[in-house]
Amino acid sequence: MGGLKRKSSSSAKSVAKSKKKKKGPHLPNSILKVIADQKRPLNSDEEEEEDEIDSDDEHGGDLYEYEEGVPEEESRKNNRYDRHDNYDYELPDDFEDENVESEDDDFDGGNSENDDDDDDDRHTRMLQSLTGMPSAAFQGESKSKPVLFTEAYPEGEFNPTRDVLEGKNVLTEEDFLAPLEGKPGYHKTSKQIARMRKDTKHVVHAPLPKPQRERLERKAVIGLVDGEFSKWVHLVKKNREAPTVYFNQEVDLGYSTVGAIASEFQPRTEFEKKMASLLNDSEVSEAHRDDGARLLELNEVSMEDHIKKRDHIAKIRNLLFRHEAKSKRIKKIKSKTYHRLKNKDLKKSSLGALMDPEMAKEEAMRQEAKRVEERLTLKHRNTGKWAKRMVRLGLNAKYDATRAAIAEQLQMNANLSRKMHSMGDGSSSDESDDEEGLNDGSDEDTPSRLIAKAKEKTLKTMEDDEVPNAGLMSLPFMARAMKKKNEEANEEAKRALEEYEEWENSGGENSKKPVSVSGRRVFGATAKVEAPKESKKDSDNFYDNSDSDNDMAGVEDNDMEDVRDNASPARNTGTITETEKFDDAAGNQASKTTFDVAMFASGSWKKMTSCKNTESKKESKKTRAPISQSQDKKGSRDEESEDSESEAEEMVDGVLASASKETFEIPSQAELINRAFAGDDVLDEFEKDKEEVLNQEVPKPEKPVLLPGWGDWSNVQRKRGISKRMVMEHEAEEKERKQKLKTRKDARLKHVIISEKVDKRAEKLHTTTLPFPHTSKEAFEHSMRMPIGPEFNPSTVVSELNRPEVVKKTGVIIKPVKFEEVNPNDEVDDEHPRNHQKQRSKKKTGKRQGKVKSK
Amino acid sequence: MEVDLEDNNLMENVLPPDEQEIDVELEAKEKKYLRGEGANLESLKDKKLKTQLASREKLYGKSAKAAAKIEKWLLPASAGYLETDGLEKTWRIKQTDIAKEVDILSSRNQYDIVLPDFGPYKLDFTASGRHMLAGGRKGHLALVDMLNMNLIREIHVRETVRDVAFLHNDQFFAAAQKKYAYIYGRDGTELHCLKERGPVARLRFLKNHFLLASVNKIGQLHYQDVTYGDMVASIRTGKGRTDVMEVNPHNGVVALGHSGGTVTMWKPTSQAPLVQMQCHPGPVSSVAFHPNGHLMATSGKERKVKIWDLRKFEEVQTIHGFHAKTLSFSQKGLLAAGTGSFVQVLGDSSGNYSRYMSHSMVKGYQVEKVMFRPYEDVLGIGHSMGWSSVLIPGSGEPNFDSWVANPFETSKQRREKEVHLLLDKLPPETIMLDPSKIGAMRPSRRKEKPTRGEIEAEKEVAIEAAKGVEMKKKTKGRNKPSKRTKKKKEMVENAKKTFPGEEQGNVAGKKRRIGDVDAAELPASLKRFARKN
Repeated sequence: MGGLKRKSSSSAKSVAKSKKKKKGPHLPNSILKVIADQKRPLNSDEEEEEDEIDSDDEHGGDLYEYEEGVPEEESRKNNRYDRHDNYDYELPDDFEDENVESEDDDFDGGNSENDDDDDDDRHTRMLQSLTGMPSAAFQGESKSKPVLFTEAYPEGEFNPTRDVLEGKNVLTEEDFLAPLEGKPGYHKTSKQIARMRKDTKHVVHAPLPKPQRERLERKAVIGLVDGEFSKWVHLVKKNREAPTVYFNQEVDLGYSTVGAIASEFQPRTEFEKKMASLLNDSEVSEAHRDDGARLLELNEVSMEDHIKKRDHIAKIRNLLFRHEAKSKRIKKIKSKTYHRLKNKDLKKSSLGALMDPEMAKEEAMRQEAKRVEERLTLKHRNTGKWAKRMVRLGLNAKYDATRAAIAEQLQMNANLSRKMHSMGDGSSSDESDDEEGLNDGSDEDTPSRLIAKAKEKTLKTMEDDEVPNAGLMSLPFMARAMKKKNEEANEEAKRALEEYEEWENSGGENSKKPVSVSGRRVFGATAKVEAPKESKKDSDNFYDNSDSDNDMAGVEDNDMEDVRDNASPARNTGTITETEKFDDAAGNQASKTTFDVAMFASGSWKKMTSCKNTESKKESKKTRAPISQSQDKKGSRDEESEDSESEAEEMVDGVLASASKETFEIPSQAELINRAFAGDDVLDEFEKDKEEVLNQEVPKPEKPVLLPGWGDWSNVQRKRGISKRMVMEHEAEEKERKQKLKTRKDARLKHVIISEKVDKRAEKLHTTTLPFPHTSKEAFEHSMRMPIGPEFNPSTVVSELNRPEVVKKTGVIIKPVKFEEVNPNDEVDDEHPRNHQKQRSKKKTGKRQGKVKSK
Repeated sequence: MEVDLEDNNLMENVLPPDEQEIDVELEAKEKKYLRGEGANLESLKDKKLKTQLASREKLYGKSAKAAAKIEKWLLPASAGYLETDGLEKTWRIKQTDIAKEVDILSSRNQYDIVLPDFGPYKLDFTASGRHMLAGGRKGHLALVDMLNMNLIREIHVRETVRDVAFLHNDQFFAAAQKKYAYIYGRDGTELHCLKERGPVARLRFLKNHFLLASVNKIGQLHYQDVTYGDMVASIRTGKGRTDVMEVNPHNGVVALGHSGGTVTMWKPTSQAPLVQMQCHPGPVSSVAFHPNGHLMATSGKERKVKIWDLRKFEEVQTIHGFHAKTLSFSQKGLLAAGTGSFVQVLGDSSGNYSRYMSHSMVKGYQVEKVMFRPYEDVLGIGHSMGWSSVLIPGSGEPNFDSWVANPFETSKQRREKEVHLLLDKLPPETIMLDPSKIGAMRPSRRKEKPTRGEIEAEKEVAIEAAKGVEMKKKTKGRNKPSKRTKKKKEMVENAKKTFPGEEQGNVAGKKRRIGDVDAAELPASLKRFARKN
């Protein structure tokens, strides 16, 4: 009974939930009546009522789905904004009413039950966290007690069996079709359904799981990326292997002569045009050509002009004088307070900032800080508590002042986060700013701003329309023409202004709702969805970003639940409990529940995969490292052996010794000589010397000796002699020495002693480590054999030999590598230095030409 | 490769024979300028480095080619030689015969200067061969301009002069006198008295290091830096008195010949000799070095002249029955040896030194010193009755490099050169047996690992030894053949174990297999991430 009761209460809750949901979409009164009718008779019997309500839940779902189709205009007619805030505050009342209606279910009791439920849930969660198994496994354990359900009503369209409700028995098309039999459209729809069944081609399969899908995507993408990259390989290889990279060619130095610059000159500004017209005046040039006489004539200035000029000069001089006098007077003022105030004023005013570079800098810094802060906090983009509240309650629509304040805030935000068109801003930050603008300048925001801007500009132009006082433009006919033009322009501007205003008004209207919509599709009545959505947004952004599909579904939880029920019957019990749990919570958390469910459904799995990924990455790294090491070791050993071999070869080559000619010798003479030097015995002496030197350089190991009193406690010990270990050590040392002597250069030369003492002073002439690119000693030493100085090489090659790796002229901008076809078989040719920027610059010139032409 | 070969064939087909010859000639010169072969790039793994080195090598080749071409076309003077026809031998040709054939300028180089009072004379030439310094034993010092046969300065120091040597140019020269060595200016003024050295027997100047090396009567070797006057090194040879001393022009190593028949080689930075060679059973009378530094000639009192290869420290050739009081190599590699009143010049024909020319002076003249004049085919002979000059065709380098030594140097050039020389002065520690090793990797102090072959051989020996061990005969129960074989096997195994070679291989194998093992150990879910080999 307990289980049933719980069920019933939960169903009641779900009803409440659905009710309040249904309240949202505002069911037509007729339907509400139907529902009420259906409920009323059940009140007599408790259990039956509950079951009824259970089924009603399903109805509610159906009804709601049906409701979905209600056109927006209708909802608008209902003045939903007002209703909306009513909804927010009236909900609790409604809720209680409902509860009163369903009497028995005491609120407290419900709560306690809810606690029970919570306990269960906690238990399962605990189990889940302990074992890492999905909660479904344990829910069965806790709730699989067999319960007998009695159906009070016969099965029918509106009374589906419990299996159906719990998702055990899925509804099929036939179930829906059956009641329609005999109705006018039945034949058609049944045919259509039959066709759909047969048509396996157009069956839309369930989407693959996300990781698989992503894997496929990656696979597809990697092919493309590989192709894109591999075509660069040759170019990169060429550049890497090039002994010298040049950045010095095809530098566009601009015009070489003044004449060239002058020939290209085209008047652009007013002044320039005027000057050009004067210079190219045929009359003047003719006068020049003839003789100077007519020039004077042309130079004539009218009296009026002269007077005007004189007056102007006098006026300016007067002004200057006054200014001077004023400044003198001010300078004389000795009051400190006056000066302090003045300075303060100056500082405050932007002019002061302009005058003083330091102040300007400070000001700029402050401004920048503000901008950064704005970008960080988005303080002025309706994210504040107040603004949110205003928007939520729709007060901004109601009161002009609020709206103005919000608009002002937005304007401030726009001003502060607008990208700066200064040199200092990097391109990347610009981009990010742009993106920001795209992202959060919500639909209504940007156009209004644009309009405002346009308006401003037009006004400005209207104001700026002043007839110039002097010069060519001051001529009467010119002035007249200008005036005419200005009038036309003004008219146009006015028209534009009107248009702008119209737009703005309409935009303001538009702006009321989309503030919170922010480019998302909304089903049903938008106003009701707003609040829950925002709360959801607050609750977790991560999920919001990660999966848009679920998000969309989350807007209407009923719908979503249906989908879920259909899609995943296996998970069903779990989801239901989840929803139950959250149903009890405050009203506007309704959508959150679904979201949480989704988290349960997919979040854990995601975590698992991520863990796996990291682990596997680590693993792969680990496995790779030792192998590469071993390879390295092997390689080094190989190199060593090669080195030694090559050394041996070096030793062999060179001038070969030739056999001495013994035949030349006169024996008697030789004998004589031998006899003459017999007494000296030089060879023996030398051998002794060699021995000495060897002993000095490779010292003989000490012979182990028995020290009297050491190790001879008894006769036995004395008999044993020196310990075996000492003898062994001695032998090992001897062996080592022999090895050393063997490796000496003079090991095989009887008549030569070559000292192998290390000369510490000469050690600085050697490198201890191989210089960077080299990996083998042999290669390094071979590459060092050639001197590269100008004393040792012909002057034609010296520069080539000593050329730096990068040749760059000062001022050349190094551009990113441009793709060009490179023949991989081409050898690096240093004689014809490649130009990395050639193509680019060529193109540039082409562009420039094009521009000129277009002009 | 095939393409290359074809190209070569084409070239050969196209080129006329003359140019082919030129090609061969050029190639030989190119080889000289390449200064050895490039490294074997195939062994390098780094592709980038490989291409870099290859391009570098290419540049070297280009440089060598250009240098060879320059040498071919801009240095046309070739070394002279004696050509004989038929049975005539070159060493039979006398100076008078030569005088008839050569031009007047060359014939002016044949002369005898008879100074009977102060002989015997020691000689020294400047690097350019322009100036000659003659030092008579009895105190006569003369500085002569050899180009115009001008006596620049002549002084009498009135004491024994044992040796003379030019410093870096003709402006200074040093003389080893009775008690001390002195340095004189060109005009004969005494600049320094080098008292620290004691009574000096021989003086030599190391051009590139600006070191004046001397050995004194008690066998001490001194190195003095003439730029700032410091004694860089004073070394006790410990081999007794010697008056045989020569500098290896290639590396600046000083060689001393000793009475015990040894030749020792020294550098200023070590107190012990770099090399000691037992060259002769009797005292060494003279030493000379080939300009390329690879050959050394020594003569002993036992009437033998030996030629040594200094790269291997092995005897290349022994010339018997020939004693030389003084030896000298010419720039082109001719070896002059003087004994008594007889001078013989040996030529290098196909790797062997053999008689090339000979010159005998008036009987009773005792040759003290022979020395080839640089950049001229002239041999200077200092003897007891003055000095003589004879023509030896093919002895001097025909083309001088004015950056190295210019016989026609003006005073301005000389000054310029002096500065350059001082700037390019090498520190004393650069004197070593193989100066080409400067800048190379420092030789590792640790002993080199034995090669694989050596290890194998040693292992084999050890195994054989283990196998050959005679087993003790044990008591009846323990002397079973099975046990004995087992024991023997164990011993062999133990012997094998001491050699790490095979174990390393095993370890490597294990490492290689790590991936597979890992894959086996991984849980099923992670198996797909295991490294696939």
